Amino acid sequence: MAGGGGQLKAERAKRGKASKRKKMKRVGFHIDMTPLVDITFLLLTFFMFATTLAAPQVMEMSIPPEIVKQVEVRESELLQIFIRDDDKLFYAKGSDDPQPIELKELRALAERENLMPNVRNRLITSLKISDDATYDMVIKVLDELNLAEVKITEEIGKELDENGQPKKRERRFTIAPMLEEDIKKLAEL
Amino acid sequence: MAKVKKKRVGFVIDMTPLVDITFLLLTFFMFTAKFKTQAESEQKFVIKRPASTPVDTATIPDKDLAVIKVAIDSATSDTMYYYEVLNEADRQAVWQKMPNFTPELLSKHQLPVDKDMLNELVLATRVVRPATKFAIDADKKLRFKWIADAMDILRRNRATMFNYVTDKKQ
Repeated sequence: MAGGGGQLKAERAKRGKASKRKKMKRVGFHIDMTPLVDITFLLLTFFMFATTLAAPQVMEMSIPPEIVKQVEVRESELLQIFIRDDDKLFYAKGSDDPQPIELKELRALAERENLMPNVRNRLITSLKISDDATYDMVIKVLDELNLAEVKITEEIGKELDENGQPKKRERRFTIAPMLEEDIKKLAEL
Repeated sequence: MAKVKKKRVGFVIDMTPLVDITFLLLTFFMFTAKFKTQAESEQKFVIKRPASTPVDTATIPDKDLAVIKVAIDSATSDTMYYYEVLNEADRQAVWQKMPNFTPELLSKHQLPVDKDMLNELVLATRVVRPATKFAIDADKKLRFKWIADAMDILRRNRATMFNYVTDKKQ
């Protein structure tokens, strides 16, 4: 520092001497930007590491409120999907015996069943999940059912109701607790 | 040689373009930065979320949200419910409503709770702001029982619309 100051003084002295001469033009004038760059890079790296780029997604759910009175459901309008405690999937139409199904086939099943002419747009999908199933599997199943909804909504939207308006998809879906008899039936499979 | 080779003193690189770009990036990152909430900085666990396909562009609402986290503590490996209310004013109001809360608990942003406590907190949140949205943020390895119980608590408090927090499927 002291050296720098000395230099400065020397320069001033030089300039002072030359002050009688023509004033020097300031060509090629530079500011030392290094400290600026230093600080900017520091902040930049900080913000780059501190940000989380992907905001988490959400999957909307609505569950029926507390059941006060029993709702009568026609058996033909019911599709049950089971998730067993070992994450194996089963499905049953009405009160039929459960059939095993793979996760990949689930979307096609939901689409097919929902678009059946006799229960079109009236089918109730009931998802019954064992307490020991993993949460991951539950989300995967819900995801497949949501994806099936895209095609179902589209197909139903193609039809017109009596007022000439495209029909609206009415999704009927519920998560129900597994009953003792369901558990027994599934355990045999 | 007639001329003496000139020594390169006071050699300068023009840093202006560098500064331009750096500032541009800096401002971008500054504006997009979303900082950890106080609750997140308190938590001692990481939640591995299940993945779901983004059907619509629904991202997590950041206003008036209450999150029920179900996670495995990294130190004790116990599963616990954790409760957060993101709106600071609401959080204080809800926490105040709880009986026998010590000042230490009152200052916490994320509470480790059991089922009964969770029920009371959800109820208090519903009283403070009925429009509060609820989200369940759970680890994908967990048994569904944990989530079913949380859902049951929400159902009992008539919060029948809620969200599952998931990651985007790749």
